[in-house]
Amino acid sequence: MTRTWLRWMPAAVVPAVIAAGVLAGSVPASAKDPLPSKTPAEVIALMAGQHQAAFSGTLDQASSLGLPQLPTTGPGSSPETAWLELLTGPHTARVYRNGTENLRVQVLDRLAERDVIRRGNDLWLYSSKDNSAAHAVIPADAGHQGMGKGAGSGTDAGAVPTPDALAAKLLAALKPTSDVALAPDVDVAGRSAYQLVLTPKSSDTLMASAAIMVDGQTGLPLGVELKARGQADPAFRVAFSAISLTAPDAGIFQFTPPAGASVKELPARDPSGQDHSGQAAHKPSGTGNDPQAGKRKVSGSGWDSVLELPAGTLTPAASGAAGATPGNAAALLQQAAVPVAGGRLLSTALLNVLILDDGRVFLGSVPLARLQAAAGGQ
Amino acid sequence: MLRLLGSELAVLFRRRRTWAMLLALAAIPILIAVAVRLSSAVPPGRGPAFLDRISQNGLFVGITAMVVAVPLFLPLTVGVVAGDTLAGEAGQGTLRYLLAAPAGRGRLVLVKYLAAAAFAVAAPAAVALAGAGIGALLFPVGPVTLLSGDTIGVAEAVGRLLLIAAYLAVSLLGLSAVGLFVSSLTDVPVGAMAATVVLAVVSQVADALPQLDWLHPWLLSHRWLDFADLLRQPVGWDSFGANALLQAGYVAVFGALAYARFATKDVLS
Repeated sequence: MTRTWLRWMPAAVVPAVIAAGVLAGSVPASAKDPLPSKTPAEVIALMAGQHQAAFSGTLDQASSLGLPQLPTTGPGSSPETAWLELLTGPHTARVYRNGTENLRVQVLDRLAERDVIRRGNDLWLYSSKDNSAAHAVIPADAGHQGMGKGAGSGTDAGAVPTPDALAAKLLAALKPTSDVALAPDVDVAGRSAYQLVLTPKSSDTLMASAAIMVDGQTGLPLGVELKARGQADPAFRVAFSAISLTAPDAGIFQFTPPAGASVKELPARDPSGQDHSGQAAHKPSGTGNDPQAGKRKVSGSGWDSVLELPAGTLTPAASGAAGATPGNAAALLQQAAVPVAGGRLLSTALLNVLILDDGRVFLGSVPLARLQAAAGGQ
Repeated sequence: MLRLLGSELAVLFRRRRTWAMLLALAAIPILIAVAVRLSSAVPPGRGPAFLDRISQNGLFVGITAMVVAVPLFLPLTVGVVAGDTLAGEAGQGTLRYLLAAPAGRGRLVLVKYLAAAAFAVAAPAAVALAGAGIGALLFPVGPVTLLSGDTIGVAEAVGRLLLIAAYLAVSLLGLSAVGLFVSSLTDVPVGAMAATVVLAVVSQVADALPQLDWLHPWLLSHRWLDFADLLRQPVGWDSFGANALLQAGYVAVFGALAYARFATKDVLS
């Protein structure tokens, strides 16, 4: 009897050891070495003054927006809907950066990859799925992109004011609409980071809070997390899962389209890559620096502002850089939107889009009632 | 111990069934290559991954064949070999004689597993080598375009092909351990083989259901297709390590279970 027990022992011990190892590994990620305590203004100044020009890392994105996850293969995926697919599904991307002129982002898909490579003023887009490349020349005066993190937008390289002044300005601009506070330090990609949390003062928005993780040593933004009201999981989160602050190999930024690839030359205008446009769509009302906002009407201010698009705009959000043709995106919209009084509603955790029967589109990070009120007020 | 392993490997690789399975695996790339050769150009984005690259570069035959073989053919052959390990001897009534030798049951389980693992290494290698061979025969061979759009030379490409074969060999080690355990449960080898293959398929079905995404990282087959990370520039080693860790977990758990079950089993035949 005892020998029988002895022989079953390994079969019981091994799973126990594995379970213990997994549990030990999944202890909530809190910062290991405590960071010096700072005020929100100091953290913003740290972020604004960061000059970590070279790094490489892996970005993980997860979202639970309440949208159906689009299939990554099959008839559902097309260039027009690629930006939507980038938002709805989980993604992993490798980012390499050296200075403002060298950047490479690799979106790692299953058995495929999408690349954005910038070297000097050359910008290359490459997709392995159809072996196609596109090339564009960035105008010399274009500022550097925010590395597709959304968080970098506050850190313009060419900004004249000092970090402290910039931080004070930014804080003053945020004060009327949001509470700015620091949450307990977190551990991001093995580095201790401050967590700057913006909480909207308005109760009329879907956004519960927006957090930026700022590396305690370098001030580099390490991640962004958007939380929606009434939802425990972050509605959208993108953060480094691994990062190295050494300069990546220069060969990584060299790209020549492979033999046999179809190469398209893009007209020279601001060519933010398709994944950038995807990220930008996530801050509809928070930053208010949408370059195309001029053509649109905004009512309200701050978090609960409502954007009105004129009739005929069939693609609601981020139709810009991806060069969306209405056909496919409109068909998708028809499937995802539910009929409500006066039109159709596309509802996500962070953004509601109301498409009126007359073609006008209202969108904002607000409940449906406010969109309908805005529509009725016209 | 070594002698036991040597004779076990000799028995395995002298069996006509083993060679039939390896030849069937080698037939996959040959079929793909001939089909592509005889047809007009494949438009990109249709069919299995990399199919459209074959006509430009023969080395892609091996990669395409491995993409095709991963979901069913490789698990099927490995399931047959691993499911047969202990149940086959029991079914034939030879297990008694094996245990009469002073080898001990623990060693016998280990030797049986190592033989199954040797087949798990041989199976993807057969696909890769047959693919590279037939590809070089029917198509031009040149620098290979990686997923990242970078181009590498032929020698490095062959190295990557072998790396993918190694990745798949590691991927199949966990399934071999599962098969070994199932094989220790029964005296009917066909049942053990079928159960192992069914488990591999169930794992892949569960991996495809988004409702079970909490379970996905634990599934045997979760990282089987991540060998594509070896085709990126720079090579993504993370998935290789994560896959090896996952498979090591399966080997440890099911190896221990197989030992416990076999060591406490009443051997009647």
